Amino acid sequence: MSTALETTKLSKRYGRTWALQDCTLSLPAGRVAALVGPNGAGKTTLLHLSVGLLEPTVGEVQVFGCSPLRQPTEALPRLGFVAQDTPLYKSFTVADLLTLGRKLNPGFDDGLARARMQKLGIPLKRRAGKLSGGQQAQVALVLALAKRPDLLLLDEPLASLDPLARREFLRTLLDAATESGLTVLLSSHIIGDLERVCDYLIILSASQVQLAGDMQEIAKTHRRLIGPRQDVAAISSLHTVIEASYTERQTTLLVRMNGPLFDSSWHAQDVSMEDIVLAYLSQQAGDRLQTPLSAREPQEREVLK
Amino acid sequence: MTWVVWRQHRAEGLILLVVLAVISVFLLITGLEMANSFQQLRLSNCLNLISRESPCLGRIQVFDNQYSFLLGGTTLLLPLPLLLGALVGAPLVAREVEQRTHLLIWTQSITRMRWLTVKLALLLGVVLLVSGALLALLYWWQSPSAQIRGSFISRIYDTSGPVWVASALLALALGIFAGALTRRTASAIFLTIALFVAIRVPVEVLWRPNFETPVTITWPIDQQEPPALSNQAWRFASGYIDAQGNRSSDLREGCTGEMTTTQCLQANGVQANYISYQPGDRFWTFQWIETGIYMGFSVLALFAAVWLVRRLN
Repeated sequence: MSTALETTKLSKRYGRTWALQDCTLSLPAGRVAALVGPNGAGKTTLLHLSVGLLEPTVGEVQVFGCSPLRQPTEALPRLGFVAQDTPLYKSFTVADLLTLGRKLNPGFDDGLARARMQKLGIPLKRRAGKLSGGQQAQVALVLALAKRPDLLLLDEPLASLDPLARREFLRTLLDAATESGLTVLLSSHIIGDLERVCDYLIILSASQVQLAGDMQEIAKTHRRLIGPRQDVAAISSLHTVIEASYTERQTTLLVRMNGPLFDSSWHAQDVSMEDIVLAYLSQQAGDRLQTPLSAREPQEREVLK
Repeated sequence: MTWVVWRQHRAEGLILLVVLAVISVFLLITGLEMANSFQQLRLSNCLNLISRESPCLGRIQVFDNQYSFLLGGTTLLLPLPLLLGALVGAPLVAREVEQRTHLLIWTQSITRMRWLTVKLALLLGVVLLVSGALLALLYWWQSPSAQIRGSFISRIYDTSGPVWVASALLALALGIFAGALTRRTASAIFLTIALFVAIRVPVEVLWRPNFETPVTITWPIDQQEPPALSNQAWRFASGYIDAQGNRSSDLREGCTGEMTTTQCLQANGVQANYISYQPGDRFWTFQWIETGIYMGFSVLALFAAVWLVRRLN
């Protein structure tokens, strides 16, 4: 399977702060991926690096094998980008914006764009500034889709939309993705709405990738284990403990299973995608559980929750 | 890309065109009248006569009285380039960043540098054409006055040669640079004005009189009248020279009523009168030197703007 987006040790520094550090990931083509992380995790930085709006401080990013910054003429036509808050030229009419798309993109699908606008009930003569927030987001999305990109990147497109507009936005996106087999990377600080549309998950926190993989695979390999109060040394030698919490008698773990569970003292439960994401996000920066939990002070474990 | 530039700037373009149309109509009407007056007063016979008894002086006076207000109005044209720099130049990059539309336009299929170069080329081209056309009109309009007063008077000099065009390009380039630097339209407008003034005023006041070594003529103190000088000459310094060759524009002591001028000058140790000027035939040389200076600054500003946009994130 070919790779749509690949980053190697990608890092970006502003002054003294690292907005993104050592980000290595690879997004297979044809996926609809959610890029999830708290505010300030580096999602926007990662997306801007991927479309060549930013230059990496260290590391590399490639889109279908091209550097978006050094080979923009090859990379840009294959990329679609919808920036946060979906900026548009406010004085342009919707028709003007479509003309802009047509003039600046060799592969622009004007018919598709017009059809979608009609379907969405967005009048072509209306100025972009006079459209509702939801409609502006839709126009920005249609502009990016009509470019016929192979990889579409969207930066928090749902943040400013009401639930109804959200659903419509995601429907437009999903229609296009299934029609043309395009790869999508969608950033959000919550997983909620994305669970239904995405089949790939990347968790970014504290400027680093915490987890990346197929959504179903992630759902399958993550389990909540509940058992009597005990040390987690035994289980963390086989599986990866993401989160641990304790009551007087009981231990509750969120574990990435690296194989079957042999210890029958644990009771395994399915866990929601939202809980998995939260568990990864609540990990401290630089504390990626590479050291087994047992090696730490018991007190620290208490705090882990 | 051409269409995008047109669509984005048509409002400013329209404003500019209306302003220019009004100015042009005004210049045409008044210009025809002035040319007519110039002919009726037979001023073309007067251009080389300086002597005080000449009947020309009266006729020149008539012309001056009639049109000095109008001619002085040319000063109002001087901020026009600045308007261009503030209205078109400063927002060019700054407004995109402010409204975040740079994220939209730089992620289409054309590269950021192509976006910038096409935009610069078109805007500079239009400004060159429009200011050039206005220059042709201004040159014709000023010519009666220029023939009488000389072309070196700053209101004529600034608006009837390539300096006028270079000045417009400079304002635009400085505006674009300021916008790329500050990324805020409001601050960019202030910076544009500050930079423009900081370049133009010293060039005009300090540098222009010395583009070439001025010609100095002296005449003895007992001769009242200075030697005849073409009215095209740009006189910018006159005064007295003492025995050591020092020049001064004032006398150390005033003259009393009993002294003749000659006696007074002698009492002050004055050896000769002098006058420094730039001959009128240097007009075009001066114009091109100053044009070169402004173009140099413009190119510098544009390169800096390109560099800033390339690095902008």
